Amino acid sequence: MREPRRILGRVNWLGLATIALGFALWELLLRAGFAQYQNLPAPSAMASGLAEITSSGQLLADTLHTLLSVLVGWTAALVLGVVFGLLLGASSTLRRYSLASIEMLRPMPGIAFAPVALLLFGFSLQMELMVIILPALWPVLINTMGAVMGVHARLFEVGRTFRLSRGEIMRKIMLPAALPCVLVGARLSMTLALVLAIVAEMVGNPAGLGYAVVREQQAMRPELVFAYVVVIGALGVILNAVLTGAVAMLFPAASGRLREAG
Amino acid sequence: MDRQSKKNADFAGQLRTVLASLPPARGLLPLILLLLVWQLLQPGPSPYFPGPSQWWTAALTLFSREHLVAAFGATTWTFLKGLALAIAAGTVLGLLIGVSDRAAHALQPLLEFMRAIPPPVTVPVASLLIGYSETMKLTVVVLSALWPILLNATSAVRQIDPLLLDVARSFRLTAWQRTWRIVLPAIVPSLLLGIRIAIPLAIVVTLLVEMLTSLPGIGALMIRSQRNFQSSEVYALLVMVGLFGFVVNDLFAVIEGVIMRRWPPRS
Repeated sequence: MREPRRILGRVNWLGLATIALGFALWELLLRAGFAQYQNLPAPSAMASGLAEITSSGQLLADTLHTLLSVLVGWTAALVLGVVFGLLLGASSTLRRYSLASIEMLRPMPGIAFAPVALLLFGFSLQMELMVIILPALWPVLINTMGAVMGVHARLFEVGRTFRLSRGEIMRKIMLPAALPCVLVGARLSMTLALVLAIVAEMVGNPAGLGYAVVREQQAMRPELVFAYVVVIGALGVILNAVLTGAVAMLFPAASGRLREAG
Repeated sequence: MDRQSKKNADFAGQLRTVLASLPPARGLLPLILLLLVWQLLQPGPSPYFPGPSQWWTAALTLFSREHLVAAFGATTWTFLKGLALAIAAGTVLGLLIGVSDRAAHALQPLLEFMRAIPPPVTVPVASLLIGYSETMKLTVVVLSALWPILLNATSAVRQIDPLLLDVARSFRLTAWQRTWRIVLPAIVPSLLLGIRIAIPLAIVVTLLVEMLTSLPGIGALMIRSQRNFQSSEVYALLVMVGLFGFVVNDLFAVIEGVIMRRWPPRS
């Protein structure tokens, strides 16, 4: 019983009240005619828009598509990033002969891949995944590499003393020691994956929440545009909370670092 | 040495430091090999994988025919102006919110939510409210870059060492002097961190708004080349945007280094 009460106590009620007040004021100003912007919907219109897309099932379909693309793309980026990060972190030769290439490619704005992906895959899910995976790879790779490089040399020697093979040293010593940093990279990469999924859906793959926002904008349904924006923001908050919660549950030792990294 | 030339020497020195901190150039080998193999396998034009020499030809064509320089100028100008406005607005708002504990507490969930909204969705919203115009382009870039800067400024103001504020009180500084001489300098490192996060977001959104609205810029050129199936042009523009990201990234590292030299790490 103590657990729920503690959570209730930690909720920032004042902050939530501010949001509610903001919405109330927005509604009031529009109703009273003080503010008249073309295409600015009142919160009540947004709410009924939200109800409309929820009951028609459109919202669920769009959300599931985006969620699935983010998860698939993020997982792929995670696997590739960890594998290459481990290799690069462990071998200084490999680092010497590839780090400059990585530093050239890494600052490339993710959206720049969208036209190339469109060229190669057309308006498809593959296009969306390419736009998600390539940029989401870097935070995981760089963090994993840095973490492995930071593992104390003595741990390596311990592994040797126990006559562990190279693969075993990787799996049993390097990976656990690097885990907190890898998780920080994983979280950055997930935020990036959501942003890029939305971008890919806007300019390429005509599906999901990103496309829905553009679709409703072109259909001149501002209340639906705003409803979708709220849903997308909520999705970002929820994904982040789920990841942080999962890390705290599965790897309690690593969760402090994650919180510090903000 | 007068002040200006000392500053320049600082900048050049910092540029040298940043260049020296780049990984050794032999690390470019995989990238060069990849391009060479690509060129050997596909020397001619292709709808999907035109060889790198084709990119170069396409770049030259773009340069002579399509006002490439003007497009780059438009993109860079929007990006810089948007970033500058976001820094100014983020700092001022961050200071205002951060000074009051209660205001920071009351606004925190709202601000966190605004940051959680992926910046690209601001483009359709702004298109609805403002229409397709340069103002809209700028607004969208500012709104994307604003949140990391604002949130970092707010939390930095709240974490200022109380001792520093006591100093201000003992010197009987006015509120203005306190802000200008103590609070602002104390939050500079956090501001720089926020700007570092904001830069890639601002670039992505600048290009996106150009792609979606065809307002002049590199993003519009990219999407037009793709629609016309000019594959070599698409790759040429990809390389140029990549170089742009690289230069902006390292230039900011230099500026950050110059500024941070006056903020020695506190133990």
